[in-house]
Amino acid sequence: MLDWLEAADQPLPLLWFADETPQVTAVVAPFRIDRFPVTVGEYARFVRDTGYRTDAERRGFGLVYTEQGWEERAGVTWRAPGGPGTESRDFDDHPVVHVSWNDATEFAAWRGKRLPTEAEWEFAARGPDFRIWPWGDAWDVGAANTAELHAGPLTSLSAWQQWWRTECARHGPVPRTSPVGSFSGRGDSPFGCADMAGNVYEWTATLSRLYDDTVRCDPTVRMAMGRYRVIRGGSWMNFRYQVRCSERMHGDPQGWSSFAHGFRCAADA
Amino acid sequence: MVRIVVPAVWTPQGRTHFEGTSGPLDEVIGDFATRHPQFARRLLDADGKPLRYLNICLDDDMIPRHQRADATVGPDTVITIISPMAGG
Repeated sequence: MLDWLEAADQPLPLLWFADETPQVTAVVAPFRIDRFPVTVGEYARFVRDTGYRTDAERRGFGLVYTEQGWEERAGVTWRAPGGPGTESRDFDDHPVVHVSWNDATEFAAWRGKRLPTEAEWEFAARGPDFRIWPWGDAWDVGAANTAELHAGPLTSLSAWQQWWRTECARHGPVPRTSPVGSFSGRGDSPFGCADMAGNVYEWTATLSRLYDDTVRCDPTVRMAMGRYRVIRGGSWMNFRYQVRCSERMHGDPQGWSSFAHGFRCAADA
Repeated sequence: MVRIVVPAVWTPQGRTHFEGTSGPLDEVIGDFATRHPQFARRLLDADGKPLRYLNICLDDDMIPRHQRADATVGPDTVITIISPMAGG
């Protein structure tokens, strides 16, 4: 996979992707996993039933990417994903965002479920055979909600920043999520799971570990091992290379969330 | 010598290691941002204070956010700055 990435017209250093190597074999017990990420409407029912307040609501601000970069903005929550004034019922069928690892875990428990493990998530995304994206090995811009769906082909960080600056100037830092299942059929995994490439990054239950401690990877990623939780799937913010089935990211589980992070639930079979 | 380690994606060349100074942690981060202004927006908020969402390790210890204001960087310390989302 790293050789393929090195040959590809993408701007990120290979060191950044090395945590997904070497390829390893994992065995998972039978499990169920939701077809879709949890939506704003579903999260609203959880909050109504339990009175739960998310970490972002308790601390009073959330993280959005503005024209200047990541910013802690007051009043940003799952209800108002771009900040005060951005509340809308139009988001009810979109994946919920601004949910921390704890917020996701609490929701899953309320539903009698749990977060998927990293291995379960990847198996659900690509099946038993290796494939780059949930639908196969050929990139299809119309099969997933990525930055390339909105901006066209992106091959540099500066091109991405230019696109986002323009978007922010027009609409503010409002997430470009899409209703769950919008790409079903064309973008589904072999098991029929939707939105496993793009739309929102998805928390998993798994504590971050390298597959092999001897692998040479980004030193800050190495320091996240044993501290962060694995995130999978990439989001609407990403290039095609960051929404691959084997792509790993690692998120701070101590209350952090952003306008591109959500989750789906799983359960033992 | 103090070393400061940042994510490879912060520079076009993928450089991760930089020289730093010793002293109070917030001042060390501020000094680093002054000497490398291309990192300032990744390190400091609009008031020039270290961004709260970043995680910072001194050698192998992650410094809890509420203890950062009192943290001191000694000589030969390795400071690792971890974004809230790492990798990918």
